[in-house]
Amino acid sequence: MIEVLGVTKSFRGPGREVRAVDDASLHVGKGEFVLILGRSGSGKSTLLGLIAGLVRPTSGSVRIKGNDIGLLSDNSLAELRAREIGFVFQFSGLLPTLPALENVLVPTLLCRGGPGTRSRAREILARVGLTEREDAYPATLSSGEMKRVAIARALINGPSLLIADEPTGDLDVDTEYEIMDLFRQLNLEGMTIVMVTHNPDLACFATRLYVMDRGKLGLEPGPFPAKDREPGNAAAGAPDDE
Amino acid sequence: MNDRMSLFPYILAGLRNKPGRNIATAFCFAFIAASIFSGQYLLAGAAGGIGQGISRMGADHLVVPVDYMALMGGRGPDNTIPIVRAEPSVFRFNRSIMDTIGRARGVSGMSPQLYVTTMYVPALAPTPIDVYGIDPDTDFTILPWLEHPPEHPLASGEVFVGHGIKGEVSSSINLNRHHYTIAGRLDPTQSGADTTVFLSLGDAYDLAATEGTLPASAPRILPGSVNAVLVRMGPEAEPDVVEADIRRLVPPSSAAVIGRHFSLDPVSRDIQDLSGVVSAISAIVVLAAFPLIALISAMVAHERQREIGLLSAMGGKRRVILFLVLSESLVLAAAGGIAGIGGGLLTIALLDAPGFLGNAVPVTFIMPSAMETLVLAGFAMSAVVLIAVVSSLYPAFRISRMSPYDAIRSGG
Ligand SMILES: Nc1ncnc2c1ncn2[C@@H]1O[C@H](COP(=O)(O)OP(=O)(O)OP(=O)(O)O)[C@@H](O)[C@H]1O
Ligand SMILES: [Mg+2]
Repeated sequence: MIEVLGVTKSFRGPGREVRAVDDASLHVGKGEFVLILGRSGSGKSTLLGLIAGLVRPTSGSVRIKGNDIGLLSDNSLAELRAREIGFVFQFSGLLPTLPALENVLVPTLLCRGGPGTRSRAREILARVGLTEREDAYPATLSSGEMKRVAIARALINGPSLLIADEPTGDLDVDTEYEIMDLFRQLNLEGMTIVMVTHNPDLACFATRLYVMDRGKLGLEPGPFPAKDREPGNAAAGAPDDE
Repeated sequence: MNDRMSLFPYILAGLRNKPGRNIATAFCFAFIAASIFSGQYLLAGAAGGIGQGISRMGADHLVVPVDYMALMGGRGPDNTIPIVRAEPSVFRFNRSIMDTIGRARGVSGMSPQLYVTTMYVPALAPTPIDVYGIDPDTDFTILPWLEHPPEHPLASGEVFVGHGIKGEVSSSINLNRHHYTIAGRLDPTQSGADTTVFLSLGDAYDLAATEGTLPASAPRILPGSVNAVLVRMGPEAEPDVVEADIRRLVPPSSAAVIGRHFSLDPVSRDIQDLSGVVSAISAIVVLAAFPLIALISAMVAHERQREIGLLSAMGGKRRVILFLVLSESLVLAAAGGIAGIGGGLLTIALLDAPGFLGNAVPVTFIMPSAMETLVLAGFAMSAVVLIAVVSSLYPAFRISRMSPYDAIRSGG
């Protein structure tokens, strides 16, 4: 599904160069649930951007479904993103001018002939538990609700790959586990998921775990028993502040 | 409701977001459209007036029997008004003289006229009326004066009447037991034509031959005889040269030439100057509004960077994103353009009603027809749309090239 080979991304900061992602390699098979753990500023978001073709690598290559995205034209890459990839951004990125339901439908404007219909949007909103809030504008939603609208939006075009950048960041533990539950269901239905978090307690959901530290990506030895953990005793590693 | 989302509500939602700024932008477009439209509209009106004025100037030369000139002491008719109608007289020549006149250089048209008689018909006018015969096939002096362009040339049994003659168009009038249908009425000419009934030449000869039409003492009117030949020059011809050439050709013992000694050229030139002024004003308006609109589009694009980045990250192709940014601007341009044209029309109508326009410029305005108005409105709309596209193209293009991820990060 995803093949990242020796990818480096550096940014020219003031005076010095920042290697946000440093020679990272990663493999995600079809139907996997991959978790990337790391401290703030370790380069997780940049890596996700590289995987989705939103960021052009300084060196190295990224393949999605066999396509080297460095070789795809802008249009083909956009097409690939619209049809195959659902992206949950770290900042929910809802359009303030549209109510929740319309926000969910925005990607359908970019994917002609896709499965996205109004009734499907309602189903997905129901699935993330927001049936009653479909007419609410983002400004009137709580941050957890916004995250869930953003997740619904990522799912509307029926992607085969879901990329989520801290979808449970700044949520209470119960809501966090509700979302993780949803992700696990989606994964069981066959969706490939790559998710970034800085909460090590979520490792139990993953079929494969990577840890990122100052741009370096490392594979944690598996296998990971996809076993449940009680929401209550998730207190181990103190997550970094945003 | 449609089960799928469509672009238009999306664009509208974006527009609703900043009502103040968007109204200002639309107003800007409205101003441009109004100034272009009303300027062009007034110009067309003035040009229409001039065009009609020129076509109503009648003949450039009048060829008359030489005896008539002798009678007039060589002065001829008042040459400072348009020659629409030959003067009434009993001096005639045969219309075959047209073969000779037609050979003169610079002559582009000729039409004969026959003065039949003057009669008193109380049903038609309180003063005596003149009866004339004209040749419907060649006439170029009466036709432009009609209130409405006729559907077909004057036929036998039909008449055109001067402005001062009573009777509705398509009603019937009676001249010495002959019945004619009024096929059209002339606008006021401030000349004898206002109390004249114009028949086709054939009818005129018939009427003349009817007992009681001509005074018993008057000479008979023979078929083929006419009182004058009205001559029109080609656009390049010089009046004096044409006049001299006609004089050279027609036998001096039979005919004389009267020239017209004024033209509408100065007014025509005034209109051209006016056209320059109007175009300059339009250009200034456009030039002044352009940077403003460009600035607003740049602002909009900047503000929407994040939204556009999001769309692009979700798989929006550059073309779609360009379209979204442009269409917002286009919707504003269209709304503003329509409002501006409507406002322009309304203003002109309000000014025109009490006759301000006519008094402000020494020209009769002939307001453009609905069709012409539509064309002018289309022109103003295209101008506004063009400005909208050009001014938002650059910001839209720049933003569509931005890395979507940077756009999302900024201001996250
Ligand atoms: N466009 C950019 N220009 C310059 N530096 C950047 C840019 N994007 C990221 N960086 C830098 O790259 C590093 C990694 O950033 P990144 O956003 O990937 O971290 P992260 O792991 O997602 O952090 P967080 O958990 O806080 O979201 C940071 O030091 C950041 O400042
Ligand atoms: Mg991040």
